[in-house]
Amino acid sequence: MLELKNVKKAFIQPDGSKTPILDLPEYNLKAGEQAALIGPSGCGKTTLLHIIAGIVRPTSGSVKIDGVEITKFSEATRDRLRANKVGYVFQTFNLLPAFSALENVMLGMAFSSGRASSTRARELLQRVGLGHRLSSRPKMMSVGEQQRVAVARALANRPKILLADEPTANVDPANQQQVIDLIRNNCRQEGVALLLVTHAMNVAEQFERVDRLDEINRVVAAARGVA
Amino acid sequence: MSILKIAWRSIQHRGLGSLLTVISMALGVMMVVSVLSINGLVSRSFRNNSSFGYDLIVGARGGGTQLTLSSVFFLGRAIETIPYEYYLAFCDKETRSKEFRNSIAYRGNEEQFRALEALNAVRMAPGSAGWGAIAEGLATDFLNRHQTAFMQIDERGLFSNYVNFAVPILLGDTYQIENSDAYFKVCATNRDYFDKLTLGEGKKFELASGRFFDNDDSEVGYFGCVMGALVAKTSGKKVGDQIKVTHGIPGESGAHIHDQLFTITGILAPTGTPNDRVVFANMEGFYLINDHVKPVVESTGINLRPDRDEAKSLADEGTKPGVELSDEELSTVRLPVEQRELTALLVSVFDEEGFGLAAQYLQQPIEQGNLASTLNWSKFRPLQAQTSAQCVNPVQEVMRLFVYFVEPAKWILLALTTLICVVSGLSILVGIYNSMSQRQHEIAVMRALGARRSHVMLIMLTEAIMLALAGGLIGWLGGRALNVALSPIVERQTGVPVRFWDFAPAEPVFAVLSPLLGNSDFASRLVKFQMSPELLLIPGLIILAVLVGVYPAISAYRTDVAKSLGK
Repeated sequence: MLELKNVKKAFIQPDGSKTPILDLPEYNLKAGEQAALIGPSGCGKTTLLHIIAGIVRPTSGSVKIDGVEITKFSEATRDRLRANKVGYVFQTFNLLPAFSALENVMLGMAFSSGRASSTRARELLQRVGLGHRLSSRPKMMSVGEQQRVAVARALANRPKILLADEPTANVDPANQQQVIDLIRNNCRQEGVALLLVTHAMNVAEQFERVDRLDEINRVVAAARGVA
Repeated sequence: MSILKIAWRSIQHRGLGSLLTVISMALGVMMVVSVLSINGLVSRSFRNNSSFGYDLIVGARGGGTQLTLSSVFFLGRAIETIPYEYYLAFCDKETRSKEFRNSIAYRGNEEQFRALEALNAVRMAPGSAGWGAIAEGLATDFLNRHQTAFMQIDERGLFSNYVNFAVPILLGDTYQIENSDAYFKVCATNRDYFDKLTLGEGKKFELASGRFFDNDDSEVGYFGCVMGALVAKTSGKKVGDQIKVTHGIPGESGAHIHDQLFTITGILAPTGTPNDRVVFANMEGFYLINDHVKPVVESTGINLRPDRDEAKSLADEGTKPGVELSDEELSTVRLPVEQRELTALLVSVFDEEGFGLAAQYLQQPIEQGNLASTLNWSKFRPLQAQTSAQCVNPVQEVMRLFVYFVEPAKWILLALTTLICVVSGLSILVGIYNSMSQRQHEIAVMRALGARRSHVMLIMLTEAIMLALAGGLIGWLGGRALNVALSPIVERQTGVPVRFWDFAPAEPVFAVLSPLLGNSDFASRLVKFQMSPELLLIPGLIILAVLVGVYPAISAYRTDVAKSLGK
């Protein structure tokens, strides 16, 4: 489902020099597979998610989602592909404050190829336990509730892969497990592959597959003298 | 979820900021609408009023524009007066004969005629041969000197063959509303004003109540008046009420209220013209007010009537000298020709061809005067009064007024109000721009959810357009409400009522673009195309919104998603 080959990313510094961030010889994820990606801060986890989502283009290498090579596409095509095939759950939820819970979920559908369906959005919110808060604005909801809306939004377009960037980092410990369960169960239910970035080992340990980016990213590994 | 809804939610989210932006835009649009419609309606009224069915205004020499403004629009002060004989030069034989037989000159000569008859009797008497020769010589001399003058009394006026009608008007007095500072102009005229003049496009005067006064009215004598709609509305006067007029402008030196009462015979239906703010008094009654009797030049041998008392004793044949006349009797006295003056004559020229050439040809002879031959003039009028008139074409004067004053003033006002709109438009830009740091994060989220750059750009532009249109709509309604609020003031100043649904009149709005459009067929059609400038407001606002929305939209377009997501 997800195939990365020789993906490299380097940022250009103001003085013109290039700073390599990522050098990934290979990284794959099967359809419906769930993996936790761990690693210390600055090892390129978020950059990798951005590359997979098509938000940034790798300096070189190949990224295939659902068999489609996305690095060759224009930005607009990558945007469309992201809308249709990738779900994204942010660390800070990033719900839009002007929209209600239902509208936030539907916002995820507004930019995809299919029609925005309020039935689907309602159903998702029901599934995450927020059927009674459809018209609530984010500021009226608890942190846990907001994150559940964010999960529903990420799944709204029936993506092939869901990218979760430290989804429990801002959630109180009591609710962390609930959020993880919610994401994992829903991905399983929808047949969506999951790549979840986390710092928390107790979260990572729940996954059958745990990848350490500081080990597979040659840039970091070289710096640490692992590679 | 549509782009429209996303933009609307964004506007809602920034409630206060959005509201202030809309109010700012609404104020600008309100000004534009008000200026456009009031200016347009007043301009149209000016144009209509300058074609009241007459082609020339004859008035005292001075500024043609001033004569036109005072005579047609009742604005400003009248220049001076012209002798009444100018009016008679346009009258038919019957009117002239009647007027001249009531003149001092005729009456003076009548006395000489009677003396001549007495002398003749002496001549014919037996044994009075010497006296008879003297009497015959006197009679012959008298007839030689005055024959022409008396013959012309029974002729048509010098210009009467060339005109359809001439309506005399006298201005200068006012009617001040009791217990108020408000006052309206008084126009003394005769019945012809209502019967022969039109309200533009051939519409006749109509009455809301009562009737027009007759020149010699069986009910109110010479002291009838008709009130314009606005005067009646403001004063609360009704048909049958009596009013006093003020000599001059209230509050100015020399101004005083005349004792004479005028009875309201009718109230005009609203005309949407300056006539609404005028009191029309019967000029025969107006002439009989003490201050309105023109002193005549001293002469010998003729019984002058320099004041009212003498006038009435001579006019009333049955009255013995020294007997006091009652007010009722006084109201039947007509002032002789020599003591009458006019502010202006509104002349409709007989123009079979319809090219306006007749009016042009008539202008010069009228200005040359040549009225001395109508009567032995020099005894009663200063010599220069013979050539004291000017003749102006009101349409030309109005057009000149437009070109030099009204149009530039309109453009200045329009430029200022448009500037207000642009500033209001910039407030949209500032409003959106100020929220850009917060928006960048939202934009990044939307982009991460799959929104393309074009989506976020469109959302920004839609938001700007929605704000501008909301401001435009509120401003448009506000402008209409402002028009209604300002209507009493505008109506009092110009006679034009402004109603809620009165759009700015159609005009060639694209004419200003003619230098840019070239000479193609389409260009010339576009330049001639007429529409209400108000209809350009909506597309204008959309263009403005797009212009001010472009910068934030580009900024949104350029938002770095990866960076902004981390904020």
